[in-house]
Amino acid sequence: MSDWGMQKAALGERLAAGRQHARGKVVPIPSLPAFLKAVIRSGDRVCLEGDNQKQADILATALANLDARDVHDLHMVQSGVVLPSHLHIFEKGIARRLDFSYSGPQSARIARMLFGGKIELGAVHTYLELFARYFIDLTPNVALIAAVSADKDGNLYTGPNTEDTPTVVEATSYKNGLVVAQVTEIVDKVPRVDIPGDLVHFVVEAGRPFYVEPLFTRDPAAITETQILTAMLAIKGIYAPYGVRRLNHGIGFNTAAIELLLPTYGEKLGLKGKVCTHFALNPHPTMIPAIESGWVEQIHCFGSEVGMEDYVAARSDIFFTGPDGSLRSNRAFCQTAGLYACDMFIGSTLQIDLEGHSSTVTTSRIAGFGGAPNMGSDPRGRRHPSEPWLKAGAEADPDSSAALRRGRKLVVQIGETFGDSNVPLFVEQLDALELARKLDLDLAPVMVYSDDVTHIVTEEGIANLLMCRSKEEREQAIRGVAGYTDIGRARDAKLVEQLRQRGVIRRPEDLGIDPLDADRRLLAARSIKDLMLASGGLYRPPSRFRNW
Amino acid sequence: MTAVTANDVSLSWYEASARQRIDALVDAGSFSEFIGPELREISPHLSIFDLPEQFDDGIVIGRGRLDGAPVLVAAQEGRFMGGAFGEVHGAKLTGLLRAARALKQDLVILFDTGGVRLQEANAGELAIAEIMRAVIEARREGVNVVGLIGGRAGCYGGGSLIAGTCSKLIISEQGRLSVSGPEVIETNKGIEEFDSRDRALVWRTMGGKHRYLIGGADTFVDDEALAFREAAITALKVGTRCDVTVLEAEQARLERRLQRFGEAEDAVEIWQALGIDDPTDVPALPTGAFLRAATNRENADDAR
Repeated sequence: MSDWGMQKAALGERLAAGRQHARGKVVPIPSLPAFLKAVIRSGDRVCLEGDNQKQADILATALANLDARDVHDLHMVQSGVVLPSHLHIFEKGIARRLDFSYSGPQSARIARMLFGGKIELGAVHTYLELFARYFIDLTPNVALIAAVSADKDGNLYTGPNTEDTPTVVEATSYKNGLVVAQVTEIVDKVPRVDIPGDLVHFVVEAGRPFYVEPLFTRDPAAITETQILTAMLAIKGIYAPYGVRRLNHGIGFNTAAIELLLPTYGEKLGLKGKVCTHFALNPHPTMIPAIESGWVEQIHCFGSEVGMEDYVAARSDIFFTGPDGSLRSNRAFCQTAGLYACDMFIGSTLQIDLEGHSSTVTTSRIAGFGGAPNMGSDPRGRRHPSEPWLKAGAEADPDSSAALRRGRKLVVQIGETFGDSNVPLFVEQLDALELARKLDLDLAPVMVYSDDVTHIVTEEGIANLLMCRSKEEREQAIRGVAGYTDIGRARDAKLVEQLRQRGVIRRPEDLGIDPLDADRRLLAARSIKDLMLASGGLYRPPSRFRNW
Repeated sequence: MTAVTANDVSLSWYEASARQRIDALVDAGSFSEFIGPELREISPHLSIFDLPEQFDDGIVIGRGRLDGAPVLVAAQEGRFMGGAFGEVHGAKLTGLLRAARALKQDLVILFDTGGVRLQEANAGELAIAEIMRAVIEARREGVNVVGLIGGRAGCYGGGSLIAGTCSKLIISEQGRLSVSGPEVIETNKGIEEFDSRDRALVWRTMGGKHRYLIGGADTFVDDEALAFREAAITALKVGTRCDVTVLEAEQARLERRLQRFGEAEDAVEIWQALGIDDPTDVPALPTGAFLRAATNRENADDAR
């Protein structure tokens, strides 16, 4: 006879072992090492919460401080490998296998450890993809999560940075896994219940907030006039003709420039209410002027942004907020929203090849994907129509029957022909291929595949890849906006001119844009202080961004 | 009242280029440049390092009118080599100062500089010394030399020494005035002494508000070209002396200031000692409220 309650029994054993080190559900900080040793078993699949923003940093450090003789061979399944401690866990031999999504600041070290065999890599995922696998074949045995506060029953308040927590808890707790939360403080009553207490087995009172990286703050002072020109091109050449109302913006100065041009340049073009009304987007500080001038109707957020909490709370008509007034973010829902309910993604990248594949990896770094590939891909399961989606579909396939034709999501890559340190944006071959060869990966880490990207915008103009009818046309369209890079200089001038006649390539002058008008005076805010003032003092930027 | 307005459009001084600043500062259409870019007086040193040159070597000099009165103007371009002083750059300013002395015409310097250009350090250091001498010699003849500080590069290194010799300094909140820059301090003394990436710390230590509060600058203005213009007009109307009595008074004030604030660990402690009610609020105060809170500031009077 099978015993159908083995997982429940195993959880019971863990709970009993954990209670030895806890008072009720509360684990005192000094007992944390002994507690973790008691509840985590060698070979466990462990989700250590952390993404590109929030981090369960106290629990990460405690896990890294375990003795590999007690706990080893863990399989880490987590969104972000971001803190140094996330890699100490592997260096010390506590964990062996890794499935993750984003590595940002640890991208160089993680690559070295992969070369050195310290980490056995499962796969690099997108956020949504990894979340999906939590429910199919990567369900955690233990989840170590982060929240703002808890009551003694384990009800959690996750505050504006809820992010991944509901997804991780759902997958772990309902499948007989153990959930441990670090919280800033234990309170009598939490401001709102983000995670019900019966899904949370233990809480650790850290005495300080979990770490959050202000990843989405772009200082308007650093926006260049070339970036302003690319932003003008995007607004007049893509946002306006397609009437893009529902969209996601990537991180980066090009999209920050677009956000700051809406109330000035966008207003002048008469686009208010016609574009950029609904976003799947973190609360970018550079969105403040557009929100304040009434451009935006609604924004759903993956996470929060440091310093934006009070502003968001005071703009509940725009943002999703809880009964306590503060933002409720949710990465899984927002990623889904970005994938299915947005008509456009626009973001910067580091390398674009001649087919239009793009990537942010270099040969010595594995930065992971985060959410960009989900945002920057055409969802084949989409069924609802919208004007931009249908228009893009028609451009890609003008001859087939309209009623049977799929629409297309607009996936726009934007950048300067020469990026940071004058490195060309356009390359013959992506560094990702070399990396895949060196690491013996089945797949090169490509951020946005060529068949998903619809437009490339540089200061040289817009290449509309939807209207390219052959591989050769596509290559020349890309070369045609690649400026003075080697790729651009090797263009076939005649073909490029033909593409321009057909409107596949549109130069600034074709759109009635004078590059000399690309002036920083067009920006609705030119400094972090302008943003603070535009928010009526509600935005409180972190010290490192303040020049006053 | 200003009879002739230069520019009624709001222009951020911090954002503007050297030429935009001059256009907005002087009476409309009154500026004529000396040794303009068409003469291509470029640095003789930069090509050795394979660095790009600029035809004006990063400084625009010339003559114009300010509220109708003739004035000589020099503006550094902070976006070229951080506005740093090289051989040609320095010589243009020295020459202009000597002209000011000879013509007995007031001069305005629009600082935007990180100090001496490392690639031509000897020539640059010599230029700083020559310029300081030329400022003092002009001032001894009764010429006003007013410094305007509010550019992106701030006013650092040798530029700050020159600023110290001016008759009046006008500064905005964005303006920074200090001998050593944040990165220099951090490199030499460690991040514990000064975290150059903590921008709020940088600004409360070197920024316009603090400099104004401790008597390091005489006039505090908004980051607006028009505000700089109005302040420059006012500053030029007040004649300043430059003699031993004045310098000794300033020396005595600086000694008192050192005694008074020498132990302070942070600018906020100094602001508290100056009797400001909510010293931590100083960075957030808008100009009007800040000037009201600053009534008990240290004042250099005529000592500069």
